Amino acid sequence: MSSFGFHLAFWLLAAMTVGGASMIIVSRNLIHAVIYLVISMLGVAGLYLTLSADFIAVVQVLIYVGAISVLMLFAIMLTPRAERNNTETSLKLPAAAVMVLILTATVFVALDTDWGAVRQAALADQARLIGQSLIREYVLPFEIGAVLLTAALVGAIALARHDDEDAAIHAQSLQAEADGTAEDVALLTDPPLVEVEADAGAGEDGGS
Amino acid sequence: MSGFDLAVVLGAWYDFRDLNNLSRLITEWIADWGPDWLSSIVTGLLGSLGILAVIGPTLLVLIWVERKVIARFQQRYGPNRVGPKGLLQPVADAIKLILKEQLAPRAADKLIFFLPPVLIFVPGLLIWGVLPFGPRMSVADLNVGVLFLLAVSGTGVLVLFMAGWSSNNKYALFGAMRAVAMSISYEVPMVLALLTLVVFSGTMSVNGIVEWQQQEDVIFILLFPLSAIAFFFAASAELNRTPADISEAESEIVAGYHTEYSGMRFGLFYAVELGNTLVISAFIATFFLGGWWLWGLDQWVPSWIILLAKTGAVYFLLIWTRGTLPRLRIDQLMSFCWKALVPATLIFVAVAAVERTLLVTQGWDTTIALPIMAVINIALTLGAVMLFARLARSERLRRPARTTLVRDRVGGLAAAREVASQAGGGD
Repeated sequence: MSSFGFHLAFWLLAAMTVGGASMIIVSRNLIHAVIYLVISMLGVAGLYLTLSADFIAVVQVLIYVGAISVLMLFAIMLTPRAERNNTETSLKLPAAAVMVLILTATVFVALDTDWGAVRQAALADQARLIGQSLIREYVLPFEIGAVLLTAALVGAIALARHDDEDAAIHAQSLQAEADGTAEDVALLTDPPLVEVEADAGAGEDGGS
Repeated sequence: MSGFDLAVVLGAWYDFRDLNNLSRLITEWIADWGPDWLSSIVTGLLGSLGILAVIGPTLLVLIWVERKVIARFQQRYGPNRVGPKGLLQPVADAIKLILKEQLAPRAADKLIFFLPPVLIFVPGLLIWGVLPFGPRMSVADLNVGVLFLLAVSGTGVLVLFMAGWSSNNKYALFGAMRAVAMSISYEVPMVLALLTLVVFSGTMSVNGIVEWQQQEDVIFILLFPLSAIAFFFAASAELNRTPADISEAESEIVAGYHTEYSGMRFGLFYAVELGNTLVISAFIATFFLGGWWLWGLDQWVPSWIILLAKTGAVYFLLIWTRGTLPRLRIDQLMSFCWKALVPATLIFVAVAAVERTLLVTQGWDTTIALPIMAVINIALTLGAVMLFARLARSERLRRPARTTLVRDRVGGLAAAREVASQAGGGD
């Protein structure tokens, strides 16, 4: 790859990454923010490609664009009132402080690193090398990750499992919905959630 | 290989056995005088334009083929008014769709609403890049081609979600949610089915897998029939085709995620769906049926014609399942994926790993070992299918346990009454 094409690709992808990342901060709508996040992640994948790390680039698209952003969309859709304007929360200052710390650390590391060290030929057959180091040097973290994911899977099943007690309560609810009073049905379909009400009140106070 | 060697010897642009010749001549000509980045750009453009030029007309014909074949399955005539045998029906449809008014709901999220019909083309076209039409005939022979296929096809669902969400329509949102749920679930058996091939052949390049099948004189559907079945079903679920098209089930949710898209915008979704079906058929043919190779026939017939013939056969199978099977419910699809396909393909990954390790470490003769393994795997597959058939008859699978709702988890009506009385007492 000649230096012209390389530079063009780098600046286009960098603009895409940084532009997408800034739009995440600017956009108020959470769904828009996730879509800008996808653009930013695609830019990062492209940057990996310009570094001849094609395995990492493809995995970046597979995991971050194809899976994690979709899960984020799912989480947003299933969260009540996720679209509320939360620019006035009291967590604004701590978040800003954390971001400043992370930015400072990143800039410091970037300035401190000897970037000349990476001027060498790209590794051939990276997938094989990564696989080998995963099951040799880094086998313990790899196994810990596997156990963690299995635990998460079991936890999800335990949450969604329907045991006899749940079944009894559900049958009761169905019965109440079928022949209960209008108040009972309203209680069931729109149950009073004390904590959420308090939260919404705080949001209104902050917004006014 | 002699047929291919002959093609290299001839090497003229009119030698249609190897479509590479033309692009190679052009790049060599450019390399004589131009900078090297120009030749790589021109090769990329040539490959993509060639693929586009083939897909466009093919899609028009496929619309007719699909409607005609399904009509035969359902004992009707299908389109037979416009042109000879109704061949011009897709053209008439396309003209009608282009002339139609393009409506957008007033409450739609305008930018996100306009993007999906365009964006949906991107993954659909990118996938063609790694498909090998011959020994060296793919636009980009990545050595992570299998992962590339999975990554790119996984991004398509994001576009469907954008379409469904931005329409601001409950049916569209339902369709989008179903599409996302199906895609997340069926990606797992799809990845596992391909993992068996990757583990056994030891390569992640699509062309490498075809070359492995050629070298060992075996096609993967014989070695790993269960992976082939799982991949076929998972692909038809990812493609939203009828046994699994719950994300656009017209009897339940109008048209799913493209309910609000009218005119040619709907036409684009429809075209991409057909194009994806075609490319996935080509990949099924490549992974499990040997791709451009067919026991020596590739020395006499151009490799890409062999691939197209196999693709057509798989495509016919997809139309067949679409025309004859009824639509499944979403809980049936989910339980089939997580309780049948995922465990079965996971077991076959382990089987493939064991067999591969035995082949490598014991140094067995592959001409004897591979047929034995094929017989064992076919027996295992038959056992798994029969086990599933027995399980499917059981009450547990026909009426699966429902998941716990939050309101049941927090104690149902009794708890709600208590909370309400507390809240009322507080006021």
